[in-house]
Amino acid sequence: MRRGKYPFIIGFLIVPVALYCTFVVAAYIQTFQLSLSNWSGLGPIEYVGFDNFTKLWHDELFWKSIRHNLFLLILLPIVTIILALVFAFLLNVGGGHKGGTTRGVWGSKIYRVIFFFPQLLALAIVAVIFGRVFGPDKSGMLNGLFPADWKPWLFLADERYAMLCILIVLIWQAVGFYVVLFSAGMGSIPAEIYEAAALDGATRITLFFRITIPLLWNTVQVAWVYLGIAAFDAFALVNIMTVDRGGPNGASSVLSLMIYRNAFEFSQAGYASALGVVLFFLTLTFAALTLRVTRRDSVEA
Amino acid sequence: MVAVAPVMKKRRAKSADDGVLTVGRSKAGTIAANTAGILFSIFMLFPVYWVLNTAFKPANEVLSLEPTLLPKNPTFDNFLSAFKAPLFLENMLNGVIITLLAVAGALVVGFLAALSIARFKFYGRKSIILVILVVQLIPFISLLIPLFLMLQQAKLTNSLIGVSITYLVLILPYTVWTLRGFISGIPRELDEAALIDGCTRAQVFWRIILPLTGPGLVATSVYGFIQAWNEFIIINTLNSPDKQNLMAWLLQNQTTRGTAWGPLMAGAIITSIPVVIFFLIIQRNIATGLTAGAVKG
Repeated sequence: MRRGKYPFIIGFLIVPVALYCTFVVAAYIQTFQLSLSNWSGLGPIEYVGFDNFTKLWHDELFWKSIRHNLFLLILLPIVTIILALVFAFLLNVGGGHKGGTTRGVWGSKIYRVIFFFPQLLALAIVAVIFGRVFGPDKSGMLNGLFPADWKPWLFLADERYAMLCILIVLIWQAVGFYVVLFSAGMGSIPAEIYEAAALDGATRITLFFRITIPLLWNTVQVAWVYLGIAAFDAFALVNIMTVDRGGPNGASSVLSLMIYRNAFEFSQAGYASALGVVLFFLTLTFAALTLRVTRRDSVEA
Repeated sequence: MVAVAPVMKKRRAKSADDGVLTVGRSKAGTIAANTAGILFSIFMLFPVYWVLNTAFKPANEVLSLEPTLLPKNPTFDNFLSAFKAPLFLENMLNGVIITLLAVAGALVVGFLAALSIARFKFYGRKSIILVILVVQLIPFISLLIPLFLMLQQAKLTNSLIGVSITYLVLILPYTVWTLRGFISGIPRELDEAALIDGCTRAQVFWRIILPLTGPGLVATSVYGFIQAWNEFIIINTLNSPDKQNLMAWLLQNQTTRGTAWGPLMAGAIITSIPVVIFFLIIQRNIATGLTAGAVKG
């Protein structure tokens, strides 16, 4: 397959490369350019150097948002991966060893569908639903379940718990996908390994920590990257669910929300672009760090 | 609070079961495992149940402060009023057109790109793979301003075409990545045999690789469909309400109609139906679709 391959390569790749140059590369260049201006979104562009970044440095809401993104970045992957691993293990191996095969708990096929179900609902719908789940008065779903004489919990309207509510919804939405992903990985671990370990007297917990986790480690790392990215975004939920969008009092603001509001509501396209540059470097740093760890598997081709 | 409960249950279930994994193991562990599974299922299903419950309730039951487990007088009125609501049908049609255009475009462009990455060695191949991976990772939101400006210049804001192209770009990395995995799984010997038998290279691609990539094309188009159908941030920014999709419609109605939860939830159910149908079709193969992209080539 040597002769005349370049016409094919060029012909096949020209459209995607052109699309990326326009929609991603050129767009980022423009974001970087705008981040140095005080452009409102309309009219002439005036460049102001690094003013936006100094302003950022002193912006209290910016630091709050960064803290919230970090909160999600740490907790979302950890909790989701632990839950998903435990349930994938239950579904695949947890039923024990009978009749020569290792199997999942009873009804594991049904569980798999149930756990995956939230994945089918659009984030918009999930956000609307959980807006009701966390309703701060008696008409909210959770508050409705409490005894009538209880003082209703504020949930999203409480500065202390707003981010926690967001975290719970993100986990609820994500966990099923990773149960399925880890199940697929566990399915490819040869049953003989489990059987040999079981014969040697390994308990379920030993099997989980000594066999399943080490053999799945690569998949776990990939999951970590994806969940980390989700933690950097989180725009949809925060935008739809939270009180005053990012409130109360900035208690649930995240970077992506700040970008959107500055760009399309506060007429601060320049400032929004500066925030976009920050988000770009944060994501890239995170991705590079994680890809470096997983390099052997994802980039080698 | 809610998330913690199942975890705690889980822990207890684990420690209660130190039984050895052999034939005839005690039943206690199985019971504990099933209890954990059922509790977690309730946590996962309850909001969905609540949507269904609300959608079938008449308005007076929805607003009543007494929670009822099932609608006392189940009704389809909410679904009818969702269909009759302004822009609902228009937005549904918009969504169908945009999704089909984006997915079809991504399949064609993505298949060809995947083909050249999987089957040819050339200068810059590795950097293309790296770019595909990285682009997938960056939140799209920081590109919204330039995107808007670009499409405005091309007179493609407030048009279905502009959004379709944007969605195509959005789902392309996954498409290329997954199809590349599938194509790499097809033995090169097949290509070579066909070339020896007198096929041209184009015929090899068309007659051998394309049909064998079938399952990959299904997996990627379902994923692309879900992404494009469920997107609302971009379309909400680029287009006015009459050129938006059902997701944007839902949000619009959530803010403007306030307490009309019945029709809103009915709308949410109608919006989710295509995705659920696709899911049921490929349900057995999700795992395959998810891992296929990981095949090394």
